Amino acid sequence: MQQTILEVQDLSRSFRSGRDPLRRLADWLSGIEPPVVRAVENVTLSISPGETLGVVGESGCGKSTLARMIAGILPISSGRMRFRGEPYESLLSRKRDALKIQMVFQDPLSSLNPRLKVRDIIGEAAVVHGIVPRSKIRDYVADLLARVGLPPEAAGRYPHQFSGGQRQRVGIARALAVNPEILICDEAVAALDVSVQAQVINLFMDIKRDRGLTMVFISHDLGVIRHLCDRVAVMYLGRVVELAKTEDLFAAPTHPYTRMLLEGMPRISLKRREFLPIQGEIPSPLAPPSGCHFHPRCPIATQQCRQVRPELREMAPGHVHRCLNAVAS
Amino acid sequence: MDEFGRHFAESRVAVASLLVSLAFLLCAIFAPVIAPTNPYDLSQLQLADALKPVDSPKVVPGEELRVRVTVANGTATFEDLPEGSVIKAITAEACGEKCLDAGVEPADVDLESLQIRGLPPGLSVEGASKHPVQPWWTVAAPADGKARIVAEGAFPSDVSFLAIVKSAPHETGFVFRLGTDSFGRDMLSAILYGIRISVIVGLVAAGTAMVLGIGLGLLAAWMGGTVDAIIMRAVDFMLGFPALLVGLAVLAILGNGIDKVVFAIIIVQWSYYARTTRSVAMAELGKEYVEAAKTLRLSPVRIMLRHVLPNCLPQVIVLFTLNIASAISLESSLSFLGVGLPLTQPSLGMLIANGYEFIFSQKYWISLYPGIVLLAMIVAVNLLGDRLRDLNNPRLAR
Repeated sequence: MQQTILEVQDLSRSFRSGRDPLRRLADWLSGIEPPVVRAVENVTLSISPGETLGVVGESGCGKSTLARMIAGILPISSGRMRFRGEPYESLLSRKRDALKIQMVFQDPLSSLNPRLKVRDIIGEAAVVHGIVPRSKIRDYVADLLARVGLPPEAAGRYPHQFSGGQRQRVGIARALAVNPEILICDEAVAALDVSVQAQVINLFMDIKRDRGLTMVFISHDLGVIRHLCDRVAVMYLGRVVELAKTEDLFAAPTHPYTRMLLEGMPRISLKRREFLPIQGEIPSPLAPPSGCHFHPRCPIATQQCRQVRPELREMAPGHVHRCLNAVAS
Repeated sequence: MDEFGRHFAESRVAVASLLVSLAFLLCAIFAPVIAPTNPYDLSQLQLADALKPVDSPKVVPGEELRVRVTVANGTATFEDLPEGSVIKAITAEACGEKCLDAGVEPADVDLESLQIRGLPPGLSVEGASKHPVQPWWTVAAPADGKARIVAEGAFPSDVSFLAIVKSAPHETGFVFRLGTDSFGRDMLSAILYGIRISVIVGLVAAGTAMVLGIGLGLLAAWMGGTVDAIIMRAVDFMLGFPALLVGLAVLAILGNGIDKVVFAIIIVQWSYYARTTRSVAMAELGKEYVEAAKTLRLSPVRIMLRHVLPNCLPQVIVLFTLNIASAISLESSLSFLGVGLPLTQPSLGMLIANGYEFIFSQKYWISLYPGIVLLAMIVAVNLLGDRLRDLNNPRLAR
């Protein structure tokens, strides 16, 4: 079996309102159970070194929560994560090693501290963690800037003096500055113009090739995912509903949700085609549907779907899904 | 920053208030240099100057000297005169067979009267009014400061008498530009020193409260949960009481003094900073650059101080400016109520309070001028703070 760099097992995260003790007391006295949002539920993934895993899904399906848990900046509610076989708790306790997992964020403006110059944004962590001595930081930052396609003068400017694409490059340089092994991109190109998106995606591919980075690429854009990823996980309301190699998934989606997503994907074609939007709204995660989360919107739902929570089943080698009735299309 | 300055300068009121505030700051710094007198030096005060109106000259009152003079063979000897007296010496010169001129040195001192007592029989003082019973002769406003003692017969060779010299009050050339208070303090100097105290109290108290409040606000924002709840309930508790009441209570326990007033103001004001800092910091903590800093495994202290705090400062500085004004007015209110500063170190509030009892006897200047200065200072600082707040408000941004 291939060695994995990152293993995620049964990872869950629920959010509960009312952390204030007074509020808790009031809730307890009045017998109200504060509502719980299960943002991520029993997600199991494993990623091999050098692989790019895409995570795709609608807004609110828990993609970003998953990303933040993998990045180690959001506590997990239950489950386990291992980095090269080592449990996350011990990894995160050693700061130098915790740097192995870095993240690129969605909003290129708010992800950069407006009061710091680019040199400090990129170089601060490397200096603090002793990766580079303070005296060499100028050259180090200049190298990184060159690597992401920015001129060395950029180091002396503030984030608001850049365009969106350039800011995202600064964000990438910041993540690369601490020599990560896993790069998590949370909707990293969603806020960019399409032409700039292409440039940034090319940059990601270059970096991945040069450094042998493992990437988790989170997006709602199927085209980007298809272009960039080796495997794709489709999420719906906190659960992974289908996970397969990219070509398998796009060629033969099995879960009805994936199929409907792919049908809704814009493509260049001269043929007139039917466009069937997925019926209904994404349900509130405060009160998710029973059984299979997708059953209220599913065209092939049966009575069983309302009651039984489907488990991940392997359709073909490396192709799993979470549906009771799915058939290969 | 240039842009900020340009936006700021768009309002003339703001520029004026900035200039006035700076002027007050300069007054505070250079008060000991520009003040004509030192109002804290009690030895300079004299009750004769009390309650003088605006533009009245400072008058040194006349003094009374009692000197025993002995004349032997035409030379006068006398007891030592007190130091610092306008009269340096007593003279006695023969002016003929039967006459002796008793006078003072320097001769041009303005004398109110010169009284000669205890002349032996047969001697009298020319042009003087004699006491009906006693052998006392008084010369009112003697010319050249001299009294002429004449003898009926031959002038005795040895004569001894008591000279009582009363010098007339005289102007010193110093003018009380804003009058004096009931202790004879120059109001102009007292106001300048009062500005100094107000500015010191305002800056130190608001500054310390700011540091304390920022610290607790950042702690509450970062920790959340129970710590946050405890700190914010303490803030609610503090905000529930009127500032003046808290100040009065604190000073009633601690007593007078500038350090205690500063302490009282810190107790009152830290909660404003804590609340503002917490809310701004929580908004900043939700931004992705903080998550990026966490991913880069920077320490919480570093994230809060280097990343979050600088982004909170604009709002906190606005609050600081406004709170300087309220610290000044709180100090003045406490001093007005008599629990602030000691009487010997008057602040503006205490000057107003001192003048309050004389205001109905038309001695308006004691309260009026400190009042105007206090008003101008608070209005200027407040307008400055308002402008900063407007510039900081993204909804008003053009």
